[in-house]
Amino acid sequence: MQLIVYTIILLGILGFVGALVLYFTAKRFSVHEDPRIDSVCAELAGANCGGCGFKGCRDFATACVEKGSLEGLNCPVSGPDGMARVAKILGVEPVKTDRRIAVLRCDGNCTARPQTFLYDGAKSCRVMNAVGTGTSGCAYGCLGCGDCTQVCQFGAISMDPATGLPVVDADKCTACGACVAECPRNLLELRPLGRRERRVWVACANRDRGAVARKFCSSACIGCGKCQKTCSFGAISIADNLAYINPDVCKACGLCVSQCPTGAIHASFTPPAKTEKTVKEVAQ
Amino acid sequence: MESKFVFSPSPHIHTANTTSRAMIHVLVALVPSIAVALWHFGLPALEVLLISTASCMGVEWLVTRYMLHRPSTLADGSAALTGVLLALNLPSSLPWWMIVAGAIMAIGIAKMAFGGLGCNIFNPALVGRVFLLISFPVAMTSWPMPQSAFPLADGATGPTILSIFKEGAAGSQLPAYTDMLLGNIGGSMGEVSAAALLLGFAYLLAVRVIKAWIPLSIIAGLAIIDLIAGFPIIPDILSGGLLLGAIFMATDYVTSPMTTKGMVFYGLLIGIITASIRRWGAYPEGMSFAILLMNGCTPLIDRYFRPRRYSPKTSKAA
Amino acid sequence: MKKTFSIGGIHPAEHKTASPTITRQPLPMTACVVLSQHIGAPAQALVEKGQHVSRGECIAQAKNFISARIHAPISGTVSAIDNVTMPNGMSSKAIIIKASPEEHRADTEARELYWQRTLPSATYPAGIDAETVRKFIAKAGIVGLGGATFPSHVKAAPPEGAAKILIVNGCECEPYLTCDDALMQAFASQIVGGVRLMLKATGAPQAVIAIEDNKPRAIAAMKHACSSLNNIKVMVLKTKYPQGGEKQLIEAVTKQRVPSGTLPIAVGAVVNNVATAFAVWQAVCTSMPLIERIITVTGDIPADQQRNYLTAIGTPISELPFTLPKECRAILGGPMMGRTAVRLDAPVTKGTSGVLLLANRMRQPAKACIRCARCVDVCPMGLEPYLLGTYGRLRLWDEARAAMVADCIECGSCNYICPSSRPIVDYIRIAKQRSK
Repeated sequence: MQLIVYTIILLGILGFVGALVLYFTAKRFSVHEDPRIDSVCAELAGANCGGCGFKGCRDFATACVEKGSLEGLNCPVSGPDGMARVAKILGVEPVKTDRRIAVLRCDGNCTARPQTFLYDGAKSCRVMNAVGTGTSGCAYGCLGCGDCTQVCQFGAISMDPATGLPVVDADKCTACGACVAECPRNLLELRPLGRRERRVWVACANRDRGAVARKFCSSACIGCGKCQKTCSFGAISIADNLAYINPDVCKACGLCVSQCPTGAIHASFTPPAKTEKTVKEVAQ
Repeated sequence: MESKFVFSPSPHIHTANTTSRAMIHVLVALVPSIAVALWHFGLPALEVLLISTASCMGVEWLVTRYMLHRPSTLADGSAALTGVLLALNLPSSLPWWMIVAGAIMAIGIAKMAFGGLGCNIFNPALVGRVFLLISFPVAMTSWPMPQSAFPLADGATGPTILSIFKEGAAGSQLPAYTDMLLGNIGGSMGEVSAAALLLGFAYLLAVRVIKAWIPLSIIAGLAIIDLIAGFPIIPDILSGGLLLGAIFMATDYVTSPMTTKGMVFYGLLIGIITASIRRWGAYPEGMSFAILLMNGCTPLIDRYFRPRRYSPKTSKAA
Repeated sequence: MKKTFSIGGIHPAEHKTASPTITRQPLPMTACVVLSQHIGAPAQALVEKGQHVSRGECIAQAKNFISARIHAPISGTVSAIDNVTMPNGMSSKAIIIKASPEEHRADTEARELYWQRTLPSATYPAGIDAETVRKFIAKAGIVGLGGATFPSHVKAAPPEGAAKILIVNGCECEPYLTCDDALMQAFASQIVGGVRLMLKATGAPQAVIAIEDNKPRAIAAMKHACSSLNNIKVMVLKTKYPQGGEKQLIEAVTKQRVPSGTLPIAVGAVVNNVATAFAVWQAVCTSMPLIERIITVTGDIPADQQRNYLTAIGTPISELPFTLPKECRAILGGPMMGRTAVRLDAPVTKGTSGVLLLANRMRQPAKACIRCARCVDVCPMGLEPYLLGTYGRLRLWDEARAAMVADCIECGSCNYICPSSRPIVDYIRIAKQRSK
């Protein structure tokens, strides 16, 4: 009996002392943090991809809470729904942002851009880019080693063995921008997904003169300006022998696609005229 | 121009000394020990050797083919080497199924489960041996005596020098040094002849496959403890798996440190641990345990013993 | 025991079979002078299309301090200032000069006269001061001819009293190349003269000409040439790659190590190539700008084609006489650090030390790292290449920085020695760029 009493007393004292230590430690070293940061963080994707421009999801959540509005803050991975929930937590208006997607500005597939040199080195675009032009001789186009597929955390980019080029899966792409930053030739561009997913872009980045560009790749943009004349919205500009379609102005009508003599303009939908032309080309 | 150009990052020339060539060198260095084993233990030794090598290679092939779905890595020679080393660590009287179990442990668990060649933390052959030693202690410590020296009846077993040490010289005499060198002592297949092992060591040094630091510092570590414990050093070095372990097992590239300082530290500790187990532990032999323990420490050793830098200052950005 | 650097190093098969006799490669009818053939800002063209230029005339000026002038290698008319394809396939701006047959003949005669009469008869200009030498160097557009192409007038003007020793690099540690060897054998006294001028310019009290022991004839020639001078010495070094690396050479000669992230002048050393010293002599004593250099043509080609050529800058590489092996690796520079060329119609630049044509031997496919530590053994900077390469491959830039990736000199020794043929230095280069 006595043993039990002593044990209870001893353990009680021990527990009390421990509690005191814990209490004072907690007081002394406590860090005050807005509880909303945690709840915002819980709404985010948690991929820490850096697509928002911050170091990680927590940094982004802190920034959202501290700023008090969502102006200029967007988590592309969470999408509009996720950001709306964040806005609800913070009690502010959600800012409407367009969903964007990465597109490849190169169409140098195996037939259009045959391999003329052999490469012998580490299979990495950055390594290859530092050594030379790539196996085709085009100094601007895709190197095809798939560095972009490696950095994509969402499995949205994969190499197409038929073309040797990366393919972006529109459903999985979150526009985090990791591939854009990785590509040593800056070939991936984030463009708005477009209304009903209709978008048009120039699938080439070659700034050489037309004849030089065509020497390496039959589907290179030669800067002829035909698309510029065709576009009735003034969305197309040409600089350094290369056309660029401004996504904010482009209405995705697809007229320029059929006009391009080299087929360098791509669309996410199929404009009828292009099909005909391709058939004709194949027939020749 | 007709020629097709190759473009590549520099350098454009490469040494001809490849991984598989290093493995072949080690196998060549083991030839004297294998010969001694065959000479002393006869056909059973050949059997153990073949079963062990074949099952190690077989396990590796099965794992790469059916579990990892990777191209076979048999060509690099590492599985064959593990098989030979495992065999040399076994008594020649071991039943075949135990050898296969050891091979599965060595290749399947210790090597392939960690990711294959280069990724294993522990020396595969030693893991196999220790697994067998702990699972089948009787079979693993019944050493057939060399036939040529003692024409005993089949199946007769004798003590190793180390068990003679351990149990006090109860009725047994220490063999002569010449017997230790030539292998006229009890023990596992590969460890009996110190001379054959040293020959292999000399070969490995000559072809620059290994450096002398690890074996020498293991011996130094052992000598330190022997001096403290007041024990005869030479028989201690020539006996048991010390030389086999020091020359062929502890120097395994994958599981040993990379810098000279690290190698010396690693070797000294192996020597010290081995001697400590031999003197004060329950087992008569401690080499395998010591090497495996230090294998586990290798990543830490590599972290603390960095190579001698060219630049005296350390990077501020670190 | 001959001196060498203390950490790491390799000794690949030397293959220094190219004949040390210097052959004069005929001047080209069309020269393509690239505006960016040195480290630093590209030079600015001073001429226009259609303008006539004469051989040796300055056709592009240095815009910044770290830049170099460029001179016309042949007389002729500027036919275009346009992008041309460089050996690696990239484009770069260049001045294209076309010569008429008469101009070509006159140039060739002038050139013969220069090499047979003017150069051998030139003498050391007594009483010349440091400032004048530096001006001559800048005027002649001299850059480091060992391959780095760093503008020499920058190196020739160290802070007052900082230079303690001038090291003249005649190591030529790269296998195959023999251009420096050939130069030292042919023009020893001019090189020593150039060294004297550089001593003047840098203010260093003494100079050491470092030569590896696989070049006995060059050593003998240089020793003879500087025997009467007591502040210039020839030092024979044990052959080991990368001895010609600035940091390794300084350690081999002075036993001092250049701290991480500093320049050689931090330990009082100025390093220049023997070919640079020769160019300085030509500039100061014969007013000849840098319009020609010696190029080794060697590799897996017939033995009589393995030679050293005195070639005008701007000559298309394909004009040099050699037969291409099938499926070849054309390397500009040595096999360890040279860069592969895919377009041989591209011009020779100031930094082209050799054209090495190797029959293609593709690298073995990379196998698993077996932690053999060979790369650690051979790294001349005492780094852990296996680790840095892995950091580069896995994009761990911060870890790479902490492991001192910035110290890597990209000598390629780790790649050379790796028994698993891993592309170590390929990834280290990336890590180096990205972790800055």
